[in-house]
Amino acid sequence: MQNAKDTFYITLRNRLASVSPDRTMTLRGVVRPGILVEEAEAPAAQLPLDVFVLRWTKLGTDGQMPSTLVAMTCEIHYATSGTRDNMGLDRGRALEAMDDELLRMLSPASVAKMNYTQNPATQMGTSIFWSQPVFTAEATTRERVGRVATVEVFTFQEQGEL
Amino acid sequence: MNTGPLAVVNAMPPVTRRVRAYFAPVDRVNRVPTVFDPAVNGGFDLDSPPAPWIDLGWIEDFSRKSLSKISGLATGSPAVTEFQVKQTVDASVSFRFKTWSKLSMALAAGSQHMNLLAPASGAAANGSGAKAAAATGLAASGSTATLLVMSSTAGFAPGCIVAVDGDYAGQTGFVGSGVSAAYVQSAAAVGSDPDYIRRVTFNVARVSTVTATELQLAQPLPAGVPANTMRVQPMVGFVDREGGSFFQEWSALFLMPGEQGERILFHYPRLQAIAGAAEAAITLNAPIERIALSAAFRALPVTDANDGEQAVCFRSFLPSAMTLV
Repeated sequence: MQNAKDTFYITLRNRLASVSPDRTMTLRGVVRPGILVEEAEAPAAQLPLDVFVLRWTKLGTDGQMPSTLVAMTCEIHYATSGTRDNMGLDRGRALEAMDDELLRMLSPASVAKMNYTQNPATQMGTSIFWSQPVFTAEATTRERVGRVATVEVFTFQEQGEL
Repeated sequence: MNTGPLAVVNAMPPVTRRVRAYFAPVDRVNRVPTVFDPAVNGGFDLDSPPAPWIDLGWIEDFSRKSLSKISGLATGSPAVTEFQVKQTVDASVSFRFKTWSKLSMALAAGSQHMNLLAPASGAAANGSGAKAAAATGLAASGSTATLLVMSSTAGFAPGCIVAVDGDYAGQTGFVGSGVSAAYVQSAAAVGSDPDYIRRVTFNVARVSTVTATELQLAQPLPAGVPANTMRVQPMVGFVDREGGSFFQEWSALFLMPGEQGERILFHYPRLQAIAGAAEAAITLNAPIERIALSAAFRALPVTDANDGEQAVCFRSFLPSAMTLV
């Protein structure tokens, strides 16, 4: 399952670098595309602005097949307060831009599964695929507007895979 | 050594969560099904069924019906039913295969199932596959069920699928190694195509590695060690069709493992399809769907050697340890 989670994250990260090269963040001194996995970073009281945050939640399995089918729910949280140049009055437009970026990052909705625990990473025998995103209503908290897109990611467990 | 009475438990209702399917070929030429004897093999390892049974994995939506008809024999005036008679003996069984493979697709097809042989260059298009590229012969010796020693491996690549069987040479009747895959009515009907048997054979496997003279298979050939007269052709997949007159016939075993260790087994010595090819879509997360193969069969009779009675299905129950019976 970790291979599928890694593949999903790195696929979205690489696609984000393509569809919106200016959306970057500096994390632990490194400038990188503005997307992170919450469970792989230090705990934070509040999610960062203008960054996509992946949060893995539910897990389901169907073990009645030669290869177990795993379904993992990924919540993609994102929020913005607009730009300083516009005193935050463009926060609606900024959120819409993130909506659009996310839709483009999620398409196409399948990719070959990779094993990133090896260097260089190796392609595995199956592909992961995911559902269409389900978007929550826009939520406003003081100067922040944001929403959550939920995607269900599917993977077949390969022989010997953790 | 403790020779005292063993602790027993009262009988419990069987509780199960899934059904597993096993199939075995019927000798169509001699009309001999594969008989499963629950007294001999009822406790077999689910992952290693006794030969020649083939594990088809867990199935879903399993349903079986008795279609036998019983009528009363009334006598006297006014007529009173004094006896009952068995008017017909009939049964059906249906389920869905979760995964697609040569065998599961063929069983669910309802008719003849074919291999999509790699086409010859420039061959005319055809719904069940164009004329095939030339087959390659096996070496005189050295091949096994998982290793093909070839006269040449040109045209074969790791990961390809191969069909392994003899050339069609004008014979009529059932053809196919290991499993009767089709019935040839005349050489003219199949165009005297030398590749026809490989087009229908169940003797197929995935190739894992290729050397200059050998194909290592990722799975054993169903028909076992190939004869050196067989030839090999790469193929791209499978095809069935709505139509055709051939009925496949298989022996089947369905097993319900109980949570207390008991087992319920349903053995159908002879099954033939009663429906054409169909699929069922199971929604994972709309619009993503898992596509299962729907299968429905009629049970045909065999004679029980214990008493000479005809039967179409045998239901066995192996109780869990130490339950009262």
